[in-house]
Amino acid sequence: MSEVTTGGTMLQPSVRRMALPTNALTGLVLGVLGYWAGVQIGNGLGFNDSGNTGVLAGYALGSIMFLVGIGFASYPLGRLFGWVTPSQPAYDEQKGVWRYLSLSFDHKVIGIQYLIVMLMAMLFGGIGAMFVRTNLLSPDTPIFPPDKYLTLVSMHSVLMIFVASAAIVGPFGNFFVPLMIGTNRMAFPRLEALSLWLVPPALVVMLLTPVFGGFQTGWTGYTPLSEQGGQGFDSYIVGFTLIGIALVVSGVNMLTTVITLRAPGMTWTRMPIFVWGVFSASILGTFAAPVLAAALSMQALDRTMNTSFYVSSNGGSPYLWQNLFWIFGHPEVYIFILPAFGIVMELIPHFARKPLWGYRTAVVGLLGVTLLSWFVWQHHLFVSGIAPALRPFYMLSTEMISIPTGIVFLVAFGTLWRSRISMTVPMLFCLGFLYNFLIGGISGVFLSDVPSDITLHGSYFSMAHFHFTIVGGEIFAIVAAIYYWFPKMTGRMLNATAGKIHFWWMFISFNLAFTPLFAAGILDMPRRVSTYAPSLQGLNDWVTIWAYVLFASMLFFAGIVIWGWFFNSKLAVADPWHARSIEWELPTPLPRRNFTRIPTFTRPPYDYGEGDARPLIEPNAEPAPA
Amino acid sequence: MTDSSTPRYGNRAAVLVLVVATLVVFLAVFITRFVETFPYTLTSEVASQPRVVLAGTGGTETVIHLETVGAISDAIDFPKPSDPHQDWVSYLPTTTFKVPANSVVTMVIDQEDSASGLRNPFWAKAQGIIGPFHMKYYDQNGNPQEGDFTQLDDASTPAHTFAIPDLGVFVPLLGISDAAPAGSINTITFSFRVGKAGTYHWQCFVPCGSGTIYGNGGPMQTLGYMGGFLVVQ
Amino acid sequence: MAWAVLSVIGVVVALQVNMPPGNQTQQASDESSLLHLMLILSTPVCIGVVLFILYSVFAFRAAPGKLDDGPSRRGNLRMQWAWVVATAVIVFALAGIGINGLANSSAATTFASSGASLGSQTVGTSASDRLQVQVIAQQWYFTYRYPSYGGAESTHLVLPVNANIEFHVTSTDVIHSFWAYELGVKADANPGVDNITYVTTTSTGSFTVRCAELCGIWHGNMFDTEGKVVSQGDFATWVANLQSSESSITLPPYAPQYFPSPRVKGT
Repeated sequence: MSEVTTGGTMLQPSVRRMALPTNALTGLVLGVLGYWAGVQIGNGLGFNDSGNTGVLAGYALGSIMFLVGIGFASYPLGRLFGWVTPSQPAYDEQKGVWRYLSLSFDHKVIGIQYLIVMLMAMLFGGIGAMFVRTNLLSPDTPIFPPDKYLTLVSMHSVLMIFVASAAIVGPFGNFFVPLMIGTNRMAFPRLEALSLWLVPPALVVMLLTPVFGGFQTGWTGYTPLSEQGGQGFDSYIVGFTLIGIALVVSGVNMLTTVITLRAPGMTWTRMPIFVWGVFSASILGTFAAPVLAAALSMQALDRTMNTSFYVSSNGGSPYLWQNLFWIFGHPEVYIFILPAFGIVMELIPHFARKPLWGYRTAVVGLLGVTLLSWFVWQHHLFVSGIAPALRPFYMLSTEMISIPTGIVFLVAFGTLWRSRISMTVPMLFCLGFLYNFLIGGISGVFLSDVPSDITLHGSYFSMAHFHFTIVGGEIFAIVAAIYYWFPKMTGRMLNATAGKIHFWWMFISFNLAFTPLFAAGILDMPRRVSTYAPSLQGLNDWVTIWAYVLFASMLFFAGIVIWGWFFNSKLAVADPWHARSIEWELPTPLPRRNFTRIPTFTRPPYDYGEGDARPLIEPNAEPAPA
Repeated sequence: MTDSSTPRYGNRAAVLVLVVATLVVFLAVFITRFVETFPYTLTSEVASQPRVVLAGTGGTETVIHLETVGAISDAIDFPKPSDPHQDWVSYLPTTTFKVPANSVVTMVIDQEDSASGLRNPFWAKAQGIIGPFHMKYYDQNGNPQEGDFTQLDDASTPAHTFAIPDLGVFVPLLGISDAAPAGSINTITFSFRVGKAGTYHWQCFVPCGSGTIYGNGGPMQTLGYMGGFLVVQ
Repeated sequence: MAWAVLSVIGVVVALQVNMPPGNQTQQASDESSLLHLMLILSTPVCIGVVLFILYSVFAFRAAPGKLDDGPSRRGNLRMQWAWVVATAVIVFALAGIGINGLANSSAATTFASSGASLGSQTVGTSASDRLQVQVIAQQWYFTYRYPSYGGAESTHLVLPVNANIEFHVTSTDVIHSFWAYELGVKADANPGVDNITYVTTTSTGSFTVRCAELCGIWHGNMFDTEGKVVSQGDFATWVANLQSSESSITLPPYAPQYFPSPRVKGT
């Protein structure tokens, strides 16, 4: 990049600094240039590889140059050349929209950036789902060519996996964990920003796959099918690697922040349960995602340098990929759901106006899921033929995981009992979560028993199961969190009446759309098919119509958010929910520095019904360290 | 956004319009990539010289004429210079066929590709067709031959197969012999019966997608090259 | 109270439901009854949870416009232990039933001998009362070989009734999954792997075979609705016809797995 050097007005005349602005636009320009250069380099190597090296190198270099253009290299490069470079981007120089289109190390800005990116990704994933359902209107007459249909299925699944793995820890974890534990910043703000800015390249790379013919493997990317795929599959490798890096980076950052930056008095047992949810998901992200990255790099080598990690005829094994993928893949689904548990258990006390019942048990439950999730991955491989003697073990460990999961229900029920429930929109979504996750969880038990799994495995039953847990569970929790924290994040309320309409609309259409899929699975409909038995057409058409209604409810929700954010002149008060939680005791909008003095926590969270209304924190006398 | 207390609608609306416009453009590209990729539909023609005796069936006999090439750029009967994958193996001119219900379909296939061999030799035996299939071909010494066959004796000689699994139709297509003169064509003719209306898929069972692992990538995994639909109406 | 009444009704309804996949084989019956059992067990749980939520929402609703707190109860250790123990009992009971079913599902053999074998397994020497059938998955069709009948190959799966069947599932290219729905059997077909699974047929009828693992463009079309379980006599006739019709073609010698030649990767 070409640096222009000028004398800064605020600096010594002899000191040079970079004056070229860095933002999403420069990132885009450099990203495109990097992609072009990467393709040239990759193809120039002349591997016998159907052009995969070029595409892979293009994506990789494009992503790196995008990060450079965003401004990640400015500080190290500046130091290298002896310029005085601000270690923090010039936050106050950027106004309005540009603040959100530029590199920022403010965890609050990053939280909002994350939210926007995630909602956009969800839109594309949702459109993919609508295309898929449209194709399934007819049992045998395709709307899309079957290869394109599978590309749509794969893009829907991968985009939604991206969303699901980051849509809670990204927006709400980054925004609220520092507030909740009483600190002004994350432990590693640069890593925090990196975990955000790795997501847009991953999304763009994934959305580019149809240009290269798409890929037809679903999100599991099983070899050797994936190795049959053309350059479209390179999107999967690079996109997932970028998301994997983002997960590790954000996980390390979250863990360090929670372990080291808790304010005085914020003991482990005083941490809000949401922080525990993010913390346990971060443990999983930190240790699971590297397995995926390693496995993907072997796929990349198979595709570019003709290695044979996964090619059985040359001594490799497709089982290797299946094992590595699910060693990552099963903790991954708990990366989705643990922070969602955190949100639901965080919100219920505030709207039941009662302390979280069984706080320590809840923490044990979250950590129990975190631990057990490492020992269940082979339940995805019950019918694969791997190690049949181990099936009873994996069956047992899988069913055992419903014990800590059940604790979430125990805690929710204990909190609701004899409480004072106000049926606000976030509370509605939390209760909806409880119902949906109940169905999702119980159907999971059906799948965990080997004999019943033989019938249900790979059918629409398992597909309905994970849609109930991820859409009905995690997405409902995300929507609850958006309604709940939106006033704090943006300073504006979302319309409550519209929110209630949205809840019933979404809850009913979700259940009507996905419940019949259990029946479809039990009646012999495998996943990811473009054609199916004509006898199931009525069921599928019903599902498709309600899926449209569900999608419309999400568009309605987008409308509520856009209207509330951009066109609602009414400002939110600092604590619209009267919630006894630290983030609501701070002013709205939040100042650049959260706490002018690092506070001391005096009480555990959720201190409802304890007679006095003392603040949770005491501002400390001495100024906070920078 | 959080720092302004009075919303500036003009600014915000402009940002919104910009974002929505970007999304719409992106979506338009996205959708067109998926929808406009069906190969065109070829309707079978009524046979001028019936090949199959249709006594008492009351059905019609229609003919579909196809060409199989090792690379689209080598096509003789149906050149397709607009195709983005000129080096792919393919059936030409299209892979979606429409035939009448309860009729007999006669396929005439000009086979111009060299042999790749079957992975499962079982497919060397023709199944589901009316009688034997007829072949005008070049033998291994390069001499033109003609005859009726029910199978190919050597499973390494087929270049492709034409198979409609749901109708039980599996026919091997002999590859051009190495000794045959350049530009030779093996013409394979066979007939099968179709019943009730529906959409049936057909495909090739020879792993002929060269350059892809197990030979079933590329043209084998993309509609419009080595597989398609038989629409019975 | 309401819970007990509704649960009884729910269980009675659940008892009426016919859970697939039916009773064409011993294994399918086992799966049906296990699914049925889980449906019956989960019905009261679901009803209880829903009733609890509904009851809480109506009984503990805050008075409109009034902001008062509930009692400051932070837990009840005995209750928490009771919950954990109760869920643990259900879970371990289900796991026990599952493991028991797994042991039975492999019929005459121990479950440890089912599953994949890589390479050295000798085929054709196992117990004489079991009919071996090899399932060959290829993109995008299943074919079946009968090693005890000269390795004859068929496009449809036909099985005799009242027989112990030993499926050897393998693939010649990518991963597929052999799912004979009514037979209650599903086993992945991996290239270079001989995945063994068992069924015992108990009644005649037709069944559908589908591919249950994404295998590429025609995955959705990779099914066959013409599988049949027929009487022993009909099977003997059918297999004899199959053998004679194939006397002219040379199939490769029967093998537990057929390593596909990968061709060149890349061009």
